[in-house]
Amino acid sequence: MLSPERLALPDYEYLAQRHVLTYMEDAVCQLLENREDISQYGIARFFTEYFNSVCQGTHILFREFSFVQATPHNRVSFLRAFWRCFRTVGKNGDLLTMKEYHCLLQLLCPDFPLELTQKAARIVLMDDAMDCLMSFSDFLFAFQIQFYYSEFLDSVAAIYEDLLSGKNPNTVIVPTSSSGQHRQRPALGGAGTLEGVEASLFYQCLENLCDRHKYSCPPPALVKEALSNVQRLTFYGFLMALSKHRGINQALALPDKGDLMHDPAMDEELERLLAQVPGLVNSVTASPEASCLPSRTPPRVGSPWRPLHHSRKVDGESDGSTEETDESET
Amino acid sequence: MIPGKYRSVSGRAANNVNCGLHLVIQTSSLPEKNKVEFKLNKDTSSFPGRLLQHDLERNYSSRQGDHINLVSSSLSSFPILQRSSEEKILYSDRLSLERQKLTVCPIINGEDHLRLLNFQHNFITRIQNISNLQKLISLDLYDNQIEEISGLSTLRCLRVLLLGKNRIKKISNLENLKSLDVLDLHGNQITKIENINHLCELRVLNLARNFLSHVDNLNGLDSLTELNLRHNQITFVRDVDNLPCLQHLFLSFNNISSFDSVSCLADSSSLSDITFDGNPIAQESWYKHTVLQNMMQLRQLDMKRITEKKRLTINNVARQWDLQQQRVANIATNEDRKDSDSPQDPCQIDGSTLSAFPEETGPLDSGLNNALQGLSVIDTYLVEVDGDTLSLYGSGALESLDRNWSVQTAGMITTVSFTFIEFDEIVQVLPKLKIKFPNSLHLKFKETNLVMLQQFNALAQLRRIDQLTIDPQGNPVVNFTLWKYYVLFRLSHFSMQKINGTEVTQNDMIMAERLFGILAHVASSELPQYRLISILGDARKKQFRYLLESKGKKPGIINEENNDSKRLVGENTNRATLNYTTRDFYNEKLEEIKEKKKFCKTYIEDLVKEATEINMKNEALQKLWPQMFIELVRDAVIEIRNKNSYMKLCLQQITDQK
Repeated sequence: MLSPERLALPDYEYLAQRHVLTYMEDAVCQLLENREDISQYGIARFFTEYFNSVCQGTHILFREFSFVQATPHNRVSFLRAFWRCFRTVGKNGDLLTMKEYHCLLQLLCPDFPLELTQKAARIVLMDDAMDCLMSFSDFLFAFQIQFYYSEFLDSVAAIYEDLLSGKNPNTVIVPTSSSGQHRQRPALGGAGTLEGVEASLFYQCLENLCDRHKYSCPPPALVKEALSNVQRLTFYGFLMALSKHRGINQALALPDKGDLMHDPAMDEELERLLAQVPGLVNSVTASPEASCLPSRTPPRVGSPWRPLHHSRKVDGESDGSTEETDESET
Repeated sequence: MIPGKYRSVSGRAANNVNCGLHLVIQTSSLPEKNKVEFKLNKDTSSFPGRLLQHDLERNYSSRQGDHINLVSSSLSSFPILQRSSEEKILYSDRLSLERQKLTVCPIINGEDHLRLLNFQHNFITRIQNISNLQKLISLDLYDNQIEEISGLSTLRCLRVLLLGKNRIKKISNLENLKSLDVLDLHGNQITKIENINHLCELRVLNLARNFLSHVDNLNGLDSLTELNLRHNQITFVRDVDNLPCLQHLFLSFNNISSFDSVSCLADSSSLSDITFDGNPIAQESWYKHTVLQNMMQLRQLDMKRITEKKRLTINNVARQWDLQQQRVANIATNEDRKDSDSPQDPCQIDGSTLSAFPEETGPLDSGLNNALQGLSVIDTYLVEVDGDTLSLYGSGALESLDRNWSVQTAGMITTVSFTFIEFDEIVQVLPKLKIKFPNSLHLKFKETNLVMLQQFNALAQLRRIDQLTIDPQGNPVVNFTLWKYYVLFRLSHFSMQKINGTEVTQNDMIMAERLFGILAHVASSELPQYRLISILGDARKKQFRYLLESKGKKPGIINEENNDSKRLVGENTNRATLNYTTRDFYNEKLEEIKEKKKFCKTYIEDLVKEATEINMKNEALQKLWPQMFIELVRDAVIEIRNKNSYMKLCLQQITDQK
């Protein structure tokens, strides 16, 4: 943790890279907004709660979109929150339209923009009829890619367009990859007529992009993996491949596809809630002890950069599904 | 009372006897009635009845005669009627043979100046033996067994012919009755309107309770003002526009299912009163509006008075709404679309245009705009109270909630219906609604622009809702698969009975909880306390604090306390944070926050600057300190090198201080 490189950065940049300032600013802003209430139980406690919630990933609930979008950690937290809240919808098997998913998103973030949802839907539907129904898991994985890497994807789209129209961005920049001497390729007249662009060329451009880009990008090695089996690919084909790639997914917020519907802690909680529906004669399956109370105990510490896989309440009853617990923290 | 020899003898016996029997029939067999009420029929409107009253109101006592003899002659099988001469003088122009159990019309001699003849409630099967009564004006054969209209060809003066409740299958043999004013054929078996085209003085035609399947062939009835066609099987109506004087048309309880089948009504300029209730068409959602719109001249619909103002108003509101929606849509799309569309005709106000819905006005040119501006001055909203329903059309109607409603009126209202009003605007008046109309249990929304599930959160603040109707027209949210479950989930504390007319089942509630239960859980227990409080606002602070404090206790106790507090708090608290702020408010709030954000940013920047400066200084100090320390030491050592001079120096310093 205390590696010397960290100290080599000038102060402001260091803070900015870790988005510390974003959270500080937001915390002070929240403090200002809720002055009267907070002053009653102390500013120190407020800050504790605030940063606790940042670590737990609950700070983005019902916040405005500009905040939700602000940092990668926020984005990941939002994705996780969306998954947890609406996993039951997916489990129920309903297929919904893009508009309805957007509505669900708006339940958590009132001013979430429609364009993002539309773009995510385009990935799933491969740019086809936008009124089609989508399954929860399809949409969620596509949305994850779209939302987390949105700036990256915009640039990729631009690159793709360039390639399609025959312009080769590589003519300007000398690539640093080990792919060998850069050759002045003649205009790819053939690229436009066949579908999509050539995979290897595309990958080169992407690599450049990743190097230059200050926004978060998917790890280049994984991208290469995703592109390895195909000769040519379209833009949406590429995005689909990204969204389905297991490795990329693991680097982000959501569990694997197989486990998407699986969240035992929440299921227990749900059973408890169902038992409270008036008039219901179901027996409560979970004991009251296993309730998921709002935990005021400090959560596990992870660096804000690394998303928490299960922001589970830390109480002794958290049961054993051990896949991505502490072992993943390196 | 009646002397024994005049007691009535059974009519049947009398008819079988052919000769020589004196039949004395008393006419006042209905002791309770002093007047013969000349009722036409139960279905008729009061209008013709009133007119006839004029003729009959002079105490037409049924005790008109104690002596009416029906003598059967030897020549025919018909009984012969005879009245005493006093009778004839007293009631010279009228004769009532009501409820005489007659099966045939008796021969009436010596009464050729008779004007009113009443055969009600008998068993007569044929109209006969009245051809000599050529001065007859009114003939009443209500409630008999007549199968065919006949025997009337000499009654050229007849003005009122009442043949209700018989067994007539066909309208015929009315050729000579050119003066006929009222023709009542209700309660028969007529299947076709025919042979009445010459009745140019007919004013009232009653064909209720027959077997008519369509209406046509009405030409020639130039004086007809009232046409009663209730309780038939009519599927379409024609020719009504050929009736220049028709004012009242009763089509209740038929089989009319589309407006096209009554399209001729739109062309009738004289109609002022129509009833359509009991037809399939009256169930349609746009029924009232369409009728009003296409029949500008209507004053009453389904016996409810409609003022000109109201009709114009509803049309106006609809138009305004459409314009508004168009404007919004136009802003969303590109500006250049406006040039490509050409403005279509607006709804014509004096209109004979038949359209089921206000026509979409395209982008407007200025002339049209001006015309509509003028209209908007009249009325852009409508408030209607109809028994237990309060209907609001147009956003201006929301202001009417501020009015002083009488407690009685307000207390009776159980249904509130909103049409052509933006939901966001409705949200702002919900508190008022809660106070002023405490019994409103059923809310209906139509054309209110409900687009997000979130908007339903706003309904949670009401006291109670039993039924919710969200009309698909103008409310896109209904297209979502999950909308009902979300409503049930968010408004679970209301225990709603019906949504859009369908009962809410236990399964629905379970499904709603299953789908969204976790959302509620997340929304309540995972939010930090300060956020909970700021979202919930002052009113609920105390309640919630109580809850949160109690949650700090041991888990075992939680359930009970939860339940307790759930009963305390009106609403399921874990949903309470799911609120809806209208778009405008939200943007306003964000604007307000911008100032604060800017301040925070600068504040933090200052802090950071300070911290980095201090850090820099610290680092610089760290770097320089070794050197500085050495110099300090060196200076000190150099100073003390010469002990003697150092001692002197110190002593000097001490004395100088004094």
